[in-house]
Amino acid sequence: MENVPLSVSDFVALTNQTLEYAYPVVAVVGEVTEFKVSQGKWVSFKLKDAGAVINCFMAVYQLRIAIEDGMKVLVTAAPRLNVRGYFNLNVRAIKPVGEGSIKKGFELLKAKLEAEGLFSPERKRALPRVPAYVGVVTSTESAAYADFCKIINERWGGLAVEVAHTQVQGEPAADQMIRAIRYFNNLETLPEVLIIIRGGGSAEDLQSFNDELLAREIAGSRIPTLVGVGHEIDHTLADMVADKRAATPTNAAEILVPDKREVIRHARQQATSLGYQLTQAIDQFSARTKEQLEAAFRRIQERLDDTFDRLGTLRVAIAQVNPDNVLRRGYALLRGSQEVGKNLEIETYDKTITAEVKNVRAR
Amino acid sequence: MSEQDKTVQEKLSELSELVAWFQSAAFKLEDALETFKKAEKLAEEIEKDLTKLKNDIKVVKKRFDGEAE
Repeated sequence: MENVPLSVSDFVALTNQTLEYAYPVVAVVGEVTEFKVSQGKWVSFKLKDAGAVINCFMAVYQLRIAIEDGMKVLVTAAPRLNVRGYFNLNVRAIKPVGEGSIKKGFELLKAKLEAEGLFSPERKRALPRVPAYVGVVTSTESAAYADFCKIINERWGGLAVEVAHTQVQGEPAADQMIRAIRYFNNLETLPEVLIIIRGGGSAEDLQSFNDELLAREIAGSRIPTLVGVGHEIDHTLADMVADKRAATPTNAAEILVPDKREVIRHARQQATSLGYQLTQAIDQFSARTKEQLEAAFRRIQERLDDTFDRLGTLRVAIAQVNPDNVLRRGYALLRGSQEVGKNLEIETYDKTITAEVKNVRAR
Repeated sequence: MSEQDKTVQEKLSELSELVAWFQSAAFKLEDALETFKKAEKLAEEIEKDLTKLKNDIKVVKKRFDGEAE
């Protein structure tokens, strides 16, 4: 090569060609320093350790976690010599390494999304009580998926479930899940709920669920989302932006569908309670009718009593004018012509007397 | 729609409506026995449907490899 003079541009191109051949992609761990975003498009920072430092460069859209100086990160990058003679790592992906940095990255991104209102309760949509068609994003090879299926089959029937198999761990996982979410959101008939599940794991295993683009995709889903990742104590950005968080994949299945044994028991109870209500209504109706009849009888009785009272009064009055009563007091009835020589009939209380008229004179 | 064509969800909603009718001003004793029989029948059908129905779980054939755009 020393006999072939190269232009500077050719040398840079040749160096890059050699680098691309020898190190198409490298993974480097180091501490972030001098992190900055320029014009909202470009991200630059330095990666350092105790003995060296290297420039890193990437586009903003490739940055899917929140980074700040002091965080320990793993970058996946292509080494390049740029035309100005600076050696860079052109970063394709970056993720925090170690518990402290993972937590820091999580907290930074959480604060950012929270400031945008992505976790606010007003955004949360209610899930249908009993969905008929749902979409699931998960790894079909996982125990979490098997548990999820077992629980929904135990709890409910007649549910149509479409499952998109994706990785749920590692670098491609977030992108695969994003594609799966888009797939469901572009279907002609949308599922009623989109469930994203993954079993437990280390903080590093669950990192894909703290990916900014995935969190935004879940938040922007047209389909209400239910996210169950890890265990009860695990909190990821994916479940924070979801419409409903499930503590575990099993819990997601329990939230998704009611327990058919409960539903059957409740339906039976409802029918039985209607039976009681019907009996009660009939009893009330009978009691009301009985009361009305009794009231009617009372009114009739009162009228009868009045009538009997009046009858009694009339009887007394009639008794007073009864001729027998007058005769009983010593008076007599006289019948016949009051002429001398004629016979008269005299009726007393207990006798009838015939007498001849001897004399008639005026009083 | 015949009773056979109704989904479990529709039957559950119908049962809830019948229960609500019993509490509503529209309640009439003349219609109550008929409504109660309907509710009993619905509860039986819901039990039968839920015991019989299986979930249909299908894995999408499409692959989701590659980066999100």
